[in-house]
Amino acid sequence: MNKPARLVSFNFFRTSSRWQRGLLLVALCLSATTARAQLTIEIIGGGADQIPITVLPLAAEEKYQQRISEIVAADLARSGRFRIQDPGSVRPLPSEPSEVNYRYWKNRGSQTLVLGKTTPRQDGKIEVRFRMIDTTKEAQVVGYAYTVGVPQLRAIAHKIADIIYEKLTGEPGVFSTRIAYVAKFPQRFELHVADADGFNSQFILAHREPIISPSWSPDGTRIAYVSFEQRRSIVFVHNLVDGTRKVLAAYDGINSAPSWAPDGKTLAITLSKDGPSQIYRINADGSGAIRLTNNNAIDTEASFSPDGKYILFTSDRGGSPQIYRMGVTGNNVERMTFDGSYNVTPRYSPDGKSFAFVQRSQGRYNLATMDIGTHQTQILTDSSLDASPTFAPNGRLILYASIVGGRGILAAVSSDGRIKQKITSSAQDVREPAWGPLVGNR
Amino acid sequence: MRQILVAMFVALLVAGCGTKGTQQPKASVEQRDLFEKQEQQAAEEAAKQARIQREQEELKRQMDEQKRRQDEAARRAAEAEQAVVKPLPESTMTEKSLADAASMLKDPESALSKRSIYYDFDAYNIKEEYQPMVEAHSKFLLEHKDYKVRIEGNCDERGSREYNLALGQRRADSVKRAMTLLGVPAKQIETVSFGSEKPKALAHDDDAWAENRRSDISYVGVDNPQ
Repeated sequence: MNKPARLVSFNFFRTSSRWQRGLLLVALCLSATTARAQLTIEIIGGGADQIPITVLPLAAEEKYQQRISEIVAADLARSGRFRIQDPGSVRPLPSEPSEVNYRYWKNRGSQTLVLGKTTPRQDGKIEVRFRMIDTTKEAQVVGYAYTVGVPQLRAIAHKIADIIYEKLTGEPGVFSTRIAYVAKFPQRFELHVADADGFNSQFILAHREPIISPSWSPDGTRIAYVSFEQRRSIVFVHNLVDGTRKVLAAYDGINSAPSWAPDGKTLAITLSKDGPSQIYRINADGSGAIRLTNNNAIDTEASFSPDGKYILFTSDRGGSPQIYRMGVTGNNVERMTFDGSYNVTPRYSPDGKSFAFVQRSQGRYNLATMDIGTHQTQILTDSSLDASPTFAPNGRLILYASIVGGRGILAAVSSDGRIKQKITSSAQDVREPAWGPLVGNR
Repeated sequence: MRQILVAMFVALLVAGCGTKGTQQPKASVEQRDLFEKQEQQAAEEAAKQARIQREQEELKRQMDEQKRRQDEAARRAAEAEQAVVKPLPESTMTEKSLADAASMLKDPESALSKRSIYYDFDAYNIKEEYQPMVEAHSKFLLEHKDYKVRIEGNCDERGSREYNLALGQRRADSVKRAMTLLGVPAKQIETVSFGSEKPKALAHDDDAWAENRRSDISYVGVDNPQ
């Protein structure tokens, strides 16, 4: 598995026509520059009602190591909502609408066709054109041209995949987003930021002491996290743009569970400076900590509703850890979970209508979602030690941490439980995923 | 006859008085004897106490003297070294005088050598079996005011890392509370939670989890940091 690019193309096109039955190795990470923690995403099972689509190689794209059509097809397939069709034997393949033999594609049942070309320019940049064509209507659905440098080819491919995804599903694609996670090596922890497909993974912090609970600012420029580098828990805010960071909270006792408010100016955090572990609101510069909960129990793991009006959190005030909801000032506390004796780590869905959490049932710790309106719970996973759920910003997938074969891995499950992905790494363990926001890429 | 009767009466009276007279002193002697015995015991006890106190004082004086001499010697050595090489930090002397206490902590026969308190899942109460150990450490800290402990709360990996971090803090805090209730000044006790981030046992099974649900008592400057 040391030649990811080759493997991707091989596995992808050989198995794409029957991938629902088996495993599809879609994307492997990655480049020689960040060899320490490569992520491998493997799809297990697929959704019903998948949209068939044929993604043709863009003309002349094979000149570049990053082949745009392969990245686009891999993105779409990984979402679980598309079935990638084989183009068959017709040659030459079309790269312009005028070259499309509509009868051929209709006979193959290829209603949606993606085609295009790459053209090198004098200044060393590349012009990338793509079009999505409806072969039934014999008309273009969407088409764009971009001028980019070679290092941006992957980013453009993700952007194209986002456009296709949104056109065909009506929801935003998340292929241009990023994820943060913690990689553990013997004697070393690294906080990584990677593309949503696991590529371009690089660490922003490395230390021999643990790092937990990364949380993205709503604009995607900062990550708050808990570091034990001073042999106790301290919360930092790390600026991804200039690489600087500041201490957010270093009070006596624990400083943990940072969670950004949607305004991007404040966070909720857990502090034990006044005795029990309680939830506080604090300005992003570390000033003005205000206590929101007031009891002798453990209150932690705040998650803001997208409209900024509520906070979900974990509390053991009732004798066992359960999920509660309160107004952002700490008012109107309401218990949300009642099944079982261990419900933790609530995370609001991007639409604010439901939340993901971890539920213990029969000795297993699994991901579940609860509809806030109906209080209906759905258990989404079935292994034994699942933790740390984080929603994709379009709400379709939930990324989480699990343990398989004694190793920490990341996994993802669609919010309807149908699509599952397993993400492994060359690191000893990967854990603590946090899916970044949709920002300025659409 | 009348005179005889009177004489007899008088004689009887005298005799009666005589009887009374001899009995009275006897009783008072006995009482005095008893009183003397108590006094004697008390005196002996007091003498014993005084002797013990004198011995203790003497011992303390000797120890103080010994310590003073050691300190003096250390100071001279330090001064001597100071003159030749460079100033020795004052803490060197402290460390030297505390060496015996440090060896107490490491004596495998002593309850002080035991440093870990284990818990049930999602629990932070100190089980009865660990109370003598907590008491032993509290006694040591009371007798050695210049020692400090760091109590490190840990959890098994299951569930939520953040909830575990808070639970680990509560485990450490409960040990601190037990010690302060036994009179240990709070300033001698520091607490920290590592949650489930620093597992001692790395497997993912019941035995490993039981080993990792733990508070460790760590003497600052004596034990190696984890």
